[in-house]
This record gives sequence, structure tokens and C-alpha cells, in this order.
Amino acid sequence: MSEFINHGGQSRRAFLVGTAAAGAALLAPAAAQAANERIVYANWGGSWEKAMRRAWADPFTKESGIQVVSASDNSLGRLQAMEQAGKVEWDLMEGLPELARVGAEKGLLEKLDFSIINRDGIMKRPEFFNDYSIPEVIFGRVLIYDKRLPQKPTSWASFWDIKTFPGKRAFYNKVESGILEAALLADGVPADKLYPLDVDRAFKKLAQIREHIIWYTTVTQSEQIMREGQATMGLLADGRALSVKSGGAPVEVAMDVSLLTWSVFVVPKGAPNKEAAMRFLAFVLDEHRQTAIAMAYNYGPVVPAAWKAIPKDRYNLISGGPEAEKTAIFLNADWWTANLQPVTEKFQQWLLG
Amino acid sequence: MLLAPALVLLAGLLVWPVAELSLRSFADPAGPLVFYERLISVPSYLQILLRTLMFSAGTALLCLLLGYPVAYALANAGPIARGVILIAVMLPFWTNLLVRSYGWIIFLSPRGVLNEALLWLGMIRQPLDLIYNVQGVLIGMTQIMLPYMILPLYAVMTRLDRRLPDAARSLGAGPIATFFKVYVPLTMPGAMAGLLLVFTISLGFFVIPALLGGAKGLMIAQLIEFNINSSLNWGMASALSVTLLATTLAIFWIGDRWFNLGAIWGIER
Repeated sequence: MSEFINHGGQSRRAFLVGTAAAGAALLAPAAAQAANERIVYANWGGSWEKAMRRAWADPFTKESGIQVVSASDNSLGRLQAMEQAGKVEWDLMEGLPELARVGAEKGLLEKLDFSIINRDGIMKRPEFFNDYSIPEVIFGRVLIYDKRLPQKPTSWASFWDIKTFPGKRAFYNKVESGILEAALLADGVPADKLYPLDVDRAFKKLAQIREHIIWYTTVTQSEQIMREGQATMGLLADGRALSVKSGGAPVEVAMDVSLLTWSVFVVPKGAPNKEAAMRFLAFVLDEHRQTAIAMAYNYGPVVPAAWKAIPKDRYNLISGGPEAEKTAIFLNADWWTANLQPVTEKFQQWLLG
Repeated sequence: MLLAPALVLLAGLLVWPVAELSLRSFADPAGPLVFYERLISVPSYLQILLRTLMFSAGTALLCLLLGYPVAYALANAGPIARGVILIAVMLPFWTNLLVRSYGWIIFLSPRGVLNEALLWLGMIRQPLDLIYNVQGVLIGMTQIMLPYMILPLYAVMTRLDRRLPDAARSLGAGPIATFFKVYVPLTMPGAMAGLLLVFTISLGFFVIPALLGGAKGLMIAQLIEFNINSSLNWGMASALSVTLLATTLAIFWIGDRWFNLGAIWGIER
């Protein structure tokens, strides 16, 4: 799900970090003592990794002396392969909420130590609380539109109104990207009655604009479609939408028409330095560290108190503003974990049909 | 004896993983055939398998149409021209797949190089739909697979007994009749080998359909990836892989049996 992250320069950075880590390991005088002095953190890389390094990893190393080394390809498949090979190299991993659900189900995760990690400050949403994960940041997919449209779209219903808002619509060809939710909201389903999703109703609604949809399969493509005006409205990852806008294209981003999700931290079962990983997680949930990440990137903090120190003019650049707790629509990760496979099959069928 | 290291390597790196993969596809606690039943009962799986076969067959035919003249020119060119053509064929072959895919995106997009040029020349009024659909997949795959068609054809054409077309000409056949009645049949083994090679390699394509295919250009490798990385359903991924492998082997077997593929690699029976 790297659609949210700008991958510029990732591989070179990962290589440099890896080389530096290898060098550090060789130089370490006593292996036993060195063991707890670094954690390997599998993440999405790119500009997001740089932001995390600035806001979290570097200050953490300064405070604790524990190095944070990045690893790439933070996928469940990779984790399961490591586990089956009997050699887990990661201490910490970020991912979408499914990572925590499926990972726990498959026995791939370590229970978090909440005597070290303090969860009191976290936004009080039930899906943020379980034994195996803590929420990391809030981000989402937003409605982006061409400023040359005759009117300003205000809701998902506008998305379906081809007469008032002529032009193509851009959707991600992954069914879990919020398209069903957008369809149901446009069809008049109230936000609090969204789940369990009425999948058939959603596909029926989608069928109404079927020939107006451009499906994008990669993030680069989603930006290209909006930048070139191939579509006049799109459902894009927030960072991507903002990057099209800041690139000078005649588009506007409706941050209030958004579907939010969040990323999670998990600790793989058998992680060599799990205690150090727990300490890192405790550090990250600190109010000031949460402010720091929201200043370094356009993702929202999961600790509401962090908003106090964020300047007001930055609010509409960050996902899940202070009001999110009450009004925002969050994608339901539990429902998606349970239904991803059958709904994806149905979606592929619908696409081909 | 000399083969031993290669055989050990093959057993360790190919036979064993493939065996484990196949076993996994039968290893559902609910019964050995659960994944296969699902594969048959959910229509999208078989539909996408069928599309994969059709995309691959289409790629193979396009490669034959485009590759045959190139191979012919290569076989009949002087040494300098041959060098130039060979470089033109092999250079893209050595270029990274991703680089070529992104190149196609820049070239084929609705506002890409090709469409802008055609619009500017007034040859079209609306940009052509060349990417993020079936056309995109076929264009991308054909370009990548062309060398696999050209090289076997070239091999057959250079080994061909040149006295036979000459004999046809001296017996009164025109150049067109000679080409179609003598030359083409003599190069059929190369064409068959090329078709089969392109077809079977194309079956497993992932990057091209993912980048150039859009929503409708789905191929089976993408379903396998989804099952491995997103839904962590490795049994289903294995079942899909085994189905693809079985299809490939069946087609290879047919090709070998009816078209005597071995001959092209110099194996006599």
C-alpha cells in the first residue's frame, strides 16, 4: 500500500542505511551488548521514512542510544516467509490496520507491552485498541477535483453527478481503497450505517458511472491523470492529491470529503530486540513526537493533544484534523480484513463483466 | 558426472520449491481440493486465466507478424547491416523491464508523445486509447517478447538450404510463390518454436499488465501476488500457480509432440 508514500530515492537510501548498519555491526565490540542497541524497522521508505527519521528515529537515538535501522518491503507476505524460514530480522513494522488483524490471526505478532507503552493519549476509537498494535498516524483518501468545473463539488453525491460535474472520474482499482464506501455514501447511506457494507448496492451505484471511470493501477498514474486533466474528479491518497496541487495543476483538494484510515505499528513474533522496539513505540506516542510528525509530513497525529502545537494554517494540509474524532469517516479495517478476499473476487468479476 | 552440480542446483532451487508449492495448494485443513474448488466456483479466476491465455496468444501472433520480416532481413543482410539489426533487436532486450514500461507510459498516454504528435499533425481529433487497457498490455508485451521470436526464426533461416528456393525459382515459380510455398514452410519450425516460447513466457507476466493494463488488463500473476501479499492466502496462490504451471507444461508437451520443438534446439529424436 505504498500509494501514500513518495518513493523518491528509496532504494539508494535503504542501501546506504543497510551498509551503515552492516558496518556498525562489524565494529561493535561485544555482540551481546550490541544486541539491544539497534532495532530494525520495516517501513514504506521514501520521503515518509525521511520524515520519520527527523521526527522520531533521530531524537529517539539521541535519548536512548538505540539505533533505528530501516528495512524495506514491509509486507505480510515477507513477514510470513521470514517466520517460516525461522529467521525474523525485523523488530518493528508499520503497515495498514489489516497487518495487525491478519498478523495476529496467523500468529506472526508479539503482544505489545503496555507497561512500557502508554496508550492514554490516543484518540478514543475502539479500532485503535488491541493487544498487538498501536495506531501510528492518520491518513486517507480525498476527493480531488478540477478547478475549471462549473461548480465546487461538496460530497460524494457530486462525484456521481455527471451532468453538473462533467468529465471522467479517477478511482484506484483496489476495491478496499474506499470506492464502495464512496458509492454508498453517494447513494444516501448514513455514515454511521456504512458497515457492514452493502456490497451489491455499492456495485449497482458504481455501475451508474461505469463508463466515466478511469481506473488507475499505480500512484504515479493517479497523479498523472489529475495533472493532465484526463479526469475532472478523483479519489486519491491525500499526499498524492496535495502533491498534484502543489505541482501547480489547476486542481483543488476537498479535505473535508475524505475517507480516513490509519497505519499501525506491530512487533513481529521472535523479533530479536523487541524490548527496544517497545521503548521506541512508547517514545512515538508522546504528544510532542506526534506534533513533530504532523509538522514533518501531511499525516495526522493519533494523539489529539498534539494538535495544540500545530499552527492553524497547517490544519487543512493534514489528514484527520481535530474534528476527525467526531465527524470523519474511517474505513473499517475489521470488516475489510474479514471480507477482502470475497469482495476482491466480486470486484474483479464486476470489472470484467 | 559433469552434470552433477547443475542437477543439485536445479533440485535445490527449482524442484524442491515447486514441490513444496504444489503440496501447499492441497494442504487446506478442510480438504485437499478446497482451493481448487474455489478456483472453479468463483468465475473471475477462470475468466482471468482465460484472458491470460488470450493475451499470451495475441502477443505470440503479433510477435510472429512483426518478427518474421525482421528475422528475414537479418538472415539475408550483409555483415554490417546484420550487426546493426542485431543491436537494434538486442538493445531493448538488455534494457530493464521497468524502464521500458515507464517509457511506454510516457509514449502512449492520452497526453503522451505519440498522441500529441498525431494531434499536432491533424491525423486524429481525439487521443487514441493506447494504454491502461488490452492494447497497452499487448503493445508492451509484444515489444518485450520480440527477440524470443526473432532469434529462433533467424536460427532456422540461416540453416535453411538455400538451394531449395533457388530450385523453385529455376523451375518457374515467381518470387511470391517461392516465398509462400517454399520459404515459409521451411521456416515453420522456427515460427512454431518462437510462438511457443513467447506464449509460455508471456503467461507469467506481471509488471507489464500491472503498469500498462489498467483495470481490464488483469493477468493471473497479479492474482497470485494479491493472494500472497494482501490476503495472505498462500494456499490459493499456490493453487493458482500450480494451475498456471500445469497449463504451461501441457502446452509445451503438445508443442513438443506435434511440432517437434526439440529439433529447433538441435535435439534429434
